[in-house]
Amino acid sequence: MNFSLLAQHNHLISIVFGVVSIAFSLSFGLGDLKAWADISWLDVVGEGGIAVLTLVWVFFLLVSRPPGRVTRLLTLGLSCYMFSALLDMFDEFVHYADASAWLSMIESIPALMGMVVMTWGLYLWHQEQLILNTQLQRREVSLREHDQVDFITKLYRADYMRGQIANLLKSPETANFSIVMLDMDDFDLFNRLYGVSEGDRLLREISELILMNLRQSDLACRYAGDRFILLLLDTDLELANEIAEQIRAAVKHLAFKTKSKGNAVYHTLTFAADIAQSGDKVDSIIGRVNRQLDLCKEG
Amino acid sequence: MLRQYLCCDEKFFPAHQLAASLIDLAISHGVDRHKLLRSTGIFYEDIKSGTATLTAQQLLKLVNQAQQLMPGYDCAFQLGRRIFPSNYGAISNAVQHSRNLGEALKLLSLFHLKICPFIYGHIYQDNNKCHLILNDALGCGEQFKFLIEAYSTALVSASKLIFGKRIPFHFNFPYPCPSYIQEYEENLGQRICFSQPILSISFDKKWLKEPFPYHSNSLKTHAIHQLKLGPQQGFLEAVCFCLRHKYSHTLQETAKLFALSPATFKRKLKQHGCSFQELQDQLRKQQAVYWLQLQGLNNEESAMKMKFNDIPNFRRAVKRWTGLTPSQLRLK
Repeated sequence: MNFSLLAQHNHLISIVFGVVSIAFSLSFGLGDLKAWADISWLDVVGEGGIAVLTLVWVFFLLVSRPPGRVTRLLTLGLSCYMFSALLDMFDEFVHYADASAWLSMIESIPALMGMVVMTWGLYLWHQEQLILNTQLQRREVSLREHDQVDFITKLYRADYMRGQIANLLKSPETANFSIVMLDMDDFDLFNRLYGVSEGDRLLREISELILMNLRQSDLACRYAGDRFILLLLDTDLELANEIAEQIRAAVKHLAFKTKSKGNAVYHTLTFAADIAQSGDKVDSIIGRVNRQLDLCKEG
Repeated sequence: MLRQYLCCDEKFFPAHQLAASLIDLAISHGVDRHKLLRSTGIFYEDIKSGTATLTAQQLLKLVNQAQQLMPGYDCAFQLGRRIFPSNYGAISNAVQHSRNLGEALKLLSLFHLKICPFIYGHIYQDNNKCHLILNDALGCGEQFKFLIEAYSTALVSASKLIFGKRIPFHFNFPYPCPSYIQEYEENLGQRICFSQPILSISFDKKWLKEPFPYHSNSLKTHAIHQLKLGPQQGFLEAVCFCLRHKYSHTLQETAKLFALSPATFKRKLKQHGCSFQELQDQLRKQQAVYWLQLQGLNNEESAMKMKFNDIPNFRRAVKRWTGLTPSQLRLK
C-alpha cells in the first residue's frame, strides 16, 4: 500500500479524531459508568464494530483520494455517521442522569445528517467518475481490470488486448477491425546511452503521444518491451495505415529532452497493420502483424 | 582429475552483479526493498560494498521473490537485457574481445559460472547447424524457467549489441507455451518452439565465424588469465561431466571421484534438487534426442551409439525419457 496521500489530508484527519474525542468526552463526561455486570457485551461488539469499520472506510478513502470536494464530503459524512455509532456504543458503558438524557434522544440525528452529506458526495463522485472515464478513453473499453495495467506506461498489458480482440471476434458484426503494432527503433541504444529509467520515461511519453493521435473508439496497449499494439474499430487497412503513419510522424517530431544533458533526442518507429479476417483467432491475427513488423524491421 | 566445482550453498557470486541488477530492476518497478530481500539473507549494504559474495541459494530465493512481487511478466526479460555488458568484469571483457561468435560461445561454456552460473551448455555441430544444448548447473528448481528466459534474452541482446543486428537463433523450450508469449516474441524473436524434448538453441553454422568488431587477442588473453581462478563448474554440471565422459557409471563410483561417501554424495544431490537416476536419465535423453532428432540417425545406428543391444529395448527407453517414440522424435 502507498500512504503518500495521507500526508495531504491533515485537516480531515484532525476532524475525524476531533469527532472521536467529542463523542468520547460527551458520553463519559455526562454519564455515570454502569456496573460491570450490566454491560451487554453483544451490543458492544455489534455497535463498536460499526464504529471501527467506519473508521477503516475513512482510512481507505483518505489513502486513495487526493484532497478535494468529493473527498471532503465523503469524509465528513462518514465522520458524522461514526459519531452516532460511537455514541451508540458508549451508551452501553454509561448511564445518563435525567438531565443528560437528551444525548441518547438525539444520537441518531448525526447519522442521518452524515448519510445526507455522503449521498451528495456520492452524486459528485459519480460526476467525477464520468469525467475520469473520458480521460481513460483509448486506454480502456467496457471492462476495468486494474491488475492488468502496465506499471511503466499505465496502459493495459497485452492480456487485456487479447481479451478485447477475443470478444470482438466472437460475433461477425464487430469483427471488422484493424490491429496495428508499433515498435520503436533503436530503443536498446537509447537505454544504453541514457539509462533504463530514462528509457522508461520515454516509453511513458510515447504512450501519451500515441493516445493523443487515436480516435475516441480506439484502444492502445503496451504489447511487450518497446512494442505497442492498437485496436482500431470499424477500420479498414488503408485507414489503419494512415492513423499509424500519423503516429509515426508525431513521434518523429517529438524532441525528447534527456535528464542528464537536456539535449533533444529524436525517435522513429516502425509499424505494421492488418485487418481481421474471417476465421481469425487472437493469436493468428497478432502473429500475422508481428511477423510483418519483424520483416519491416529486418528489411 | 575433477575440476574444482561449486555447490549451491557456497558463497561465490559478487553481490553487485546479478543481485544488484535484479534489486534495481524490482525497485524501479515499485517493489518494496525490504519485502524483496526478506529472508534471503542479502543486505542492501552488501550490494553497495562491492565486496560481499552470495550463494546460489540466496540468488534463487531473490529471483523467486522478485518474480512474485514485480507486476507484469517482463521481469526475467528486463533482467536479461541488463546482463551484458554489465559489471561482470573479466568474462565480459573476454567475450567482447573474442575473435568471433564461436570463440565467444566457447569461452562462455568454459567460464559460464562467472556470468551465467545457473545454466551450462554444450556446443554440437552438424553439417550446417550449430546446437547449444543447455542444462541446469546448480539445481535451480522452479526458478529454472525464469533463468532460461533471462539468459536467452541476454544472449540475443548481447549479440545484437556486438553485431548491431539480430542473429537468427532458434529456441527450443522444454515447457508449454506460456500466456505471456509476447515477451518471448519481443525479446527472442519469432523462431521459438515450446514443449520440446530438450532445451536447446540452434543457429546456422556460418554465424560461428562472424567476426567480432572489438577483437583483441592480448586483451582477451589477459581476461582469460583472470578467469582461471576459482571453480569453473556447478555441482550438477560436474556430476554430469563424469557421467558423460564415462569416468564413472554408478553412484558409488561417482561419489568416489568426488571424494565423498555415497550417503554424503546423495545428500548433496538432494540439496541441488535432483537424484542420481534423474541426472543419468537426463543425460541419456539428451543423447537420444541428439542422435535421433538433430543428427537424424535411424534406430539401429542410434541404439548402437548408445550401447543398446536390443532395438525394442531402445524404443522403450526413448519413449520413457521423452514421451515420444524414436520415429516421432525424428519428425519433430
